[in-house]
Amino acid sequence: MDFTPPSPGSYRLERIQAAGDGAVLDSAGKRRRLAEFTRGRVTLLAFMYASCADPNGCPYALSVMHQLKNELERIPSTRGRVGFVSLSFDPLRDTPAMLALYGAQHADGRHVPWDFLTTRSRRELLPILKDWGQDVGIEVDRATGKALGTYSHVLKVFLVDRRGAVREIYTTDYLLPAMVLNDIKTLLIEDGLALR
Amino acid sequence: MKSKQIVRRPRLSLIALATAAVVAGGPALADETSCSPFTPLIKGQEDLVYVWTLGVKGVGDGSDKLVTVDVNPKSKSYGKVIHKLSVGGRGEIHHVGLSDDRRYLWGGALDSNKIFIFDIGTNPAKPKLVKTINDFVEKTGFVGPHSFIAMPGRMLITPLSNKKDHGGETGIAVYNNKGEYVSHNAMPKEGGGDGYGYDAAINPQKNVFLTSSFTGWNNYMMDLGKMVKDGEAMKRFGNTSVMWDMKTMKPLKVFQTPGAPLEVRWSWKSGDNWAVTTTALTSKIWVYKQDAKGEWQVKDVATIGDPAKIPLPVDISITADSRGMWINTFMDGTARYWDMSDPMKPKEVFNKRIGSQVNMVSQSFDGKRVYFTSSLLGNWDKKDKDDEQYLKAYNWDGKDLKLAFEIDFYKEKLGRAHHMKFQARDLSTLKPLDSAQSALPLLAQSR
Repeated sequence: MDFTPPSPGSYRLERIQAAGDGAVLDSAGKRRRLAEFTRGRVTLLAFMYASCADPNGCPYALSVMHQLKNELERIPSTRGRVGFVSLSFDPLRDTPAMLALYGAQHADGRHVPWDFLTTRSRRELLPILKDWGQDVGIEVDRATGKALGTYSHVLKVFLVDRRGAVREIYTTDYLLPAMVLNDIKTLLIEDGLALR
Repeated sequence: MKSKQIVRRPRLSLIALATAAVVAGGPALADETSCSPFTPLIKGQEDLVYVWTLGVKGVGDGSDKLVTVDVNPKSKSYGKVIHKLSVGGRGEIHHVGLSDDRRYLWGGALDSNKIFIFDIGTNPAKPKLVKTINDFVEKTGFVGPHSFIAMPGRMLITPLSNKKDHGGETGIAVYNNKGEYVSHNAMPKEGGGDGYGYDAAINPQKNVFLTSSFTGWNNYMMDLGKMVKDGEAMKRFGNTSVMWDMKTMKPLKVFQTPGAPLEVRWSWKSGDNWAVTTTALTSKIWVYKQDAKGEWQVKDVATIGDPAKIPLPVDISITADSRGMWINTFMDGTARYWDMSDPMKPKEVFNKRIGSQVNMVSQSFDGKRVYFTSSLLGNWDKKDKDDEQYLKAYNWDGKDLKLAFEIDFYKEKLGRAHHMKFQARDLSTLKPLDSAQSALPLLAQSR
């Protein structure tokens, strides 16, 4: 793979879809609306589950988000303008307490908040997944029909503008840190932020 | 996805942001046929082939339909039609494309301009129509939605025509996975562009996609015999192809590729950096490659058959290792296998007559199974006894094609067999989350 990503602000990211809303739990166990995290700032949101071991899946997204967070932390003017969200699709195991522990490993830093969210139940989760267009399947043992405790899903990371519109969607082959960073900067420039 | 049969392409290597002006990444794997690089692939035995089939008056219910064929040799219904789903009416249906999660199949109609979205994930053996897009012309001004190429969360659509004069000037359009309009762009008319469009193929490693060009509604809905005698109509074919920046959706360069360049494919071999097309009217193979300065260039590298006889090369299918490529020539009903190990000097090494006419070709990931269908366009297919309509499956050992099964689409009262896509039944064992409430205790037990 070799190309130079187009420079921030030199292109327009189209409005792909509205960012879905729904009832979620933050890592303190408090009931929140997902829209609280996807409005008023540029948000990078990834669906995940903490026990995912697929190197091309959630751990890859996590590592990319780490790189982006580190980079954005070096740009003080982004303070309050960018946030990250990891939303679990495994509410049975990814409880708020579990995510508080999990998130503590990742959500350090000063300028870029990173919230780890879950839902109270699959009943509350499913409409959110459907609205965002995130496929998730329960992997089962073909011989016994029993769930294996893992999920099949195509990794998707969503870039949301401050008005709550999804402006870019990244799957594994498209989740390139340098390009995502330029996309975030493009949305910030669109909002009038002078980035140097 | 983690199914044994479905494989995700390898992820890109991580890069250091601070120094990442240029992005470097890992290799790409091969495609089964012509899938978007964003669609998970079936690496093993495909279980099902969907055939997007044109309805024919007086044949069965006369309606356009999605036909599902069992193609797993271990299955009791191997080689049989196991499901058919009529969409109502005849709209000159043409191509289909898989969504970015392989759970949906989009199919277009060149005359009615409808786009049908089928759920092929819930039960792959029984596709279900879940949405019909009716606003394509209204939203884009374009006519004839042709190719459907998945991008993350959305579908790139390449139409053939426009509503203003039904000629060949057209563009590209994007709809999100819900089937809602996102954007559209005109094909370039500057820099040598003629504004025509046809197919597209994406290369994420280069952040580019390549488009080709064909002809407008006035021609593709005209009787072929009448059209070839119409000098003015014959002038109205696309002669260009265009390299686009995938991120900005802007044209980078227009290439002169005279004679209707149709299907475009990228080499999937790791480290390769070329794409290929064939021109229908001039019977040439063209290869696109970056020069030493990184600028995209195109070269005609070979001639297919005898151009004077207009063999009409139509669909192509590149092998997983990009060392070979099937090229169908419609008029003589022949499949031709080309050695592409040196893409700048390809050689035809095998050919076989498949039928009185042949259009589409799809090969399995390992290249051992090759499927052919017959229909080009409702008004361009041959007449009377030469109007054979079929799906034929062959086994390919590198030397010969051996017929595995065939289905006569007229005898089965189906219609004209056009575009194909594969699917795996394994998807049905990955139970959708919303049907798995009973699995909750199992999940708990498994901890």
